[in-house]
Amino acid sequence: MIARARDASPRRFPMRHRLLPLAWTLTFLGLAILLSIAIGSVFIPPADLWRLLAAGFSGALPEPLATYALIIIGIRLPRTALVALTGAALGASGAAYQGLFRNPLADPYLIGVASGAGLGAVIAMSIQWPYSFWGLMAIPMAAFLAALLTVLIVYSLARVGRAVPTTNLILAGVAFGSFATALTSFLMLRSSGEVRRALGWLLGGASQAGWMPVLGILPYLVIGLSILLLSGHALNLLQFGDEQAHQLGLPVTRAKTIILVAASLATAAAVAFAGIIGFVGLIVPHVMRMWFGGDYRRLLPLSLIGGAAALLVADVLARVVLAPQELPLGIITALAGAPFFLWVLRRSKNQGYW
Amino acid sequence: MFRKLIIILAALAFTLAGCAPAATPTSAPVPTALPAVEVPTEVPTAAPTASPTSAPLTITDGLGRKVTLPAPAQKVVSMAPSNTEILFAISAGPQVVGRDEFSDYPAQAKSLPSVGGSMGQYSNEQIAALKPDLVLAGGINTPEQVKALEDLGLTVFYLGNPSTLEEMYANLETVAKLTGHESDASTLIDSLKARVKAVDDKLAGVTAKPIVFYEIDASDPNKPYTTGPGTFIDLLIARAGGQNLPGLKDPYPQVSLEQIVVANPDIILLGDAQYGTTPEAVAGRPGWATIAAVKNNRVLPFDDNLVSRPGPRLVDGLEALAKAIHPEMYK
Repeated sequence: MIARARDASPRRFPMRHRLLPLAWTLTFLGLAILLSIAIGSVFIPPADLWRLLAAGFSGALPEPLATYALIIIGIRLPRTALVALTGAALGASGAAYQGLFRNPLADPYLIGVASGAGLGAVIAMSIQWPYSFWGLMAIPMAAFLAALLTVLIVYSLARVGRAVPTTNLILAGVAFGSFATALTSFLMLRSSGEVRRALGWLLGGASQAGWMPVLGILPYLVIGLSILLLSGHALNLLQFGDEQAHQLGLPVTRAKTIILVAASLATAAAVAFAGIIGFVGLIVPHVMRMWFGGDYRRLLPLSLIGGAAALLVADVLARVVLAPQELPLGIITALAGAPFFLWVLRRSKNQGYW
Repeated sequence: MFRKLIIILAALAFTLAGCAPAATPTSAPVPTALPAVEVPTEVPTAAPTASPTSAPLTITDGLGRKVTLPAPAQKVVSMAPSNTEILFAISAGPQVVGRDEFSDYPAQAKSLPSVGGSMGQYSNEQIAALKPDLVLAGGINTPEQVKALEDLGLTVFYLGNPSTLEEMYANLETVAKLTGHESDASTLIDSLKARVKAVDDKLAGVTAKPIVFYEIDASDPNKPYTTGPGTFIDLLIARAGGQNLPGLKDPYPQVSLEQIVVANPDIILLGDAQYGTTPEAVAGRPGWATIAAVKNNRVLPFDDNLVSRPGPRLVDGLEALAKAIHPEMYK
């Protein structure tokens, strides 16, 4: 604990060292965005991609450029944006949750966002909605609200007087999550036709295409992630334990509540359209911590950018591994993410990094 | 604190609701801009193939959407095995340019490019690259999938699942209108109806209604899955002079072995034969030996694709069921 506090002290990281990791992750994100636009189940030759860029995607394009333009503008760009935003939300929320709970196993779903969202989505799916804007919005909205409601219930269940002990929060979250997951499975067994749809959603992956989901979640991500990016100092103090943090002048309960709400808001919005994508929120903060240290003022932005980049790479894999089939994103993140994480863990020279 | 959070939550719900419609106009330029990119290249290729005499047709699809085609579709992507079978059965096979991963009948369909479909994941890119003038979605597709393709400027028709043979015939007619094969479809429907009538006539004098257990999955032999009311299998078993396991309520229920033993089915049909289940394996399952069908050697493999895909092969399924349930009438 004391060693980490020394690590986190700004003196050991002069300005260029503080910006270097940011430059690295941003470069990685840039490459991931390029990959995500360039690669898909339809092969677009780089020469044609270049000609498209030169033409600015407009005007009377000859075949096959017109089709390629449709694929890039209509499918790949909005999907890239949605996946990047989802990854950013999961990465930053994961880092915040890990700091908040001082638990290396914490991920954005720890206190029930995923199970609550799943339950909301499956309940909404059991109703036949008319084919309309609101009919299509019903499932993401139900998922979003159920996720937030779950966090609210867990939070109030875990509260003791004015304090919210971390252990209570985790236990209430895990217990309520199991309950919601069981209820979800029960509803899926009871329903007949919608199981496919529910399964696809629960495994993660952008089911709705176009810009609407991106615009729908953007306000929540901007609010949630901005608050998280400003919470680095509070999270650093919380690492000393609630009592010490309080003595250092941090209004502990209020800080924890704000961080919890901000992280849950971002995660719930991300989950509403993209489904439940596991593992990103768990490993990205750890990888960033191993590579660049545990100062939350840097860890939060790095996890945000790293999460976006990692999920984009996973999405590219999901598109090409079995092309023209597309794999659910949640499968790829665990299948490719787990070995990568173990590799980083083995190579990490900073053995006692947590 | 709790009350404050409730208020915040309520406010959030309203802002999500409030921002969403505002998002539609902003997203509108994309779909409208895309056909504009497409049009100059699409018109010259589509115009010569479409018959010049045909007027635009508008049909309401299974999602209640009004779908308009300028002329019968010449480049169709089928999103479901049943749709592929319907298209080929009404002689629209040459107009099919793409199919979903599971479309394996007729054999020609397998040589067409696949657009995915396992676990409900389709490649919208592949579909767009095939430049179809009609995407024929089916009951297995989600409304989200339809919306995604619609947003790409594609014409999507959602063919709802039929629940009776009459509705299946109506689906054939609908697909025929979309592809310009009305006369082929009416010939097909007449022959299908004649074959169904032949089965009805054959079984007219039958009084015994054997109990049939139709197995679709017995990964756990103590709790196999079967098909209940609302499925074609249930409907066709009755039409073929049998009766489904009594007391079923859900379309795809999981039933306990106890329930099967009590119902004591006369015939067990293995819809899961395609996954390697054999009559011998059934006889070897603990507790199954007491069932009449097992004792009398009336456990039969069955081609599930005949009865699980809502297309013209349902009539093949009916004939196969009639032969399995009343072999004495087909001697």
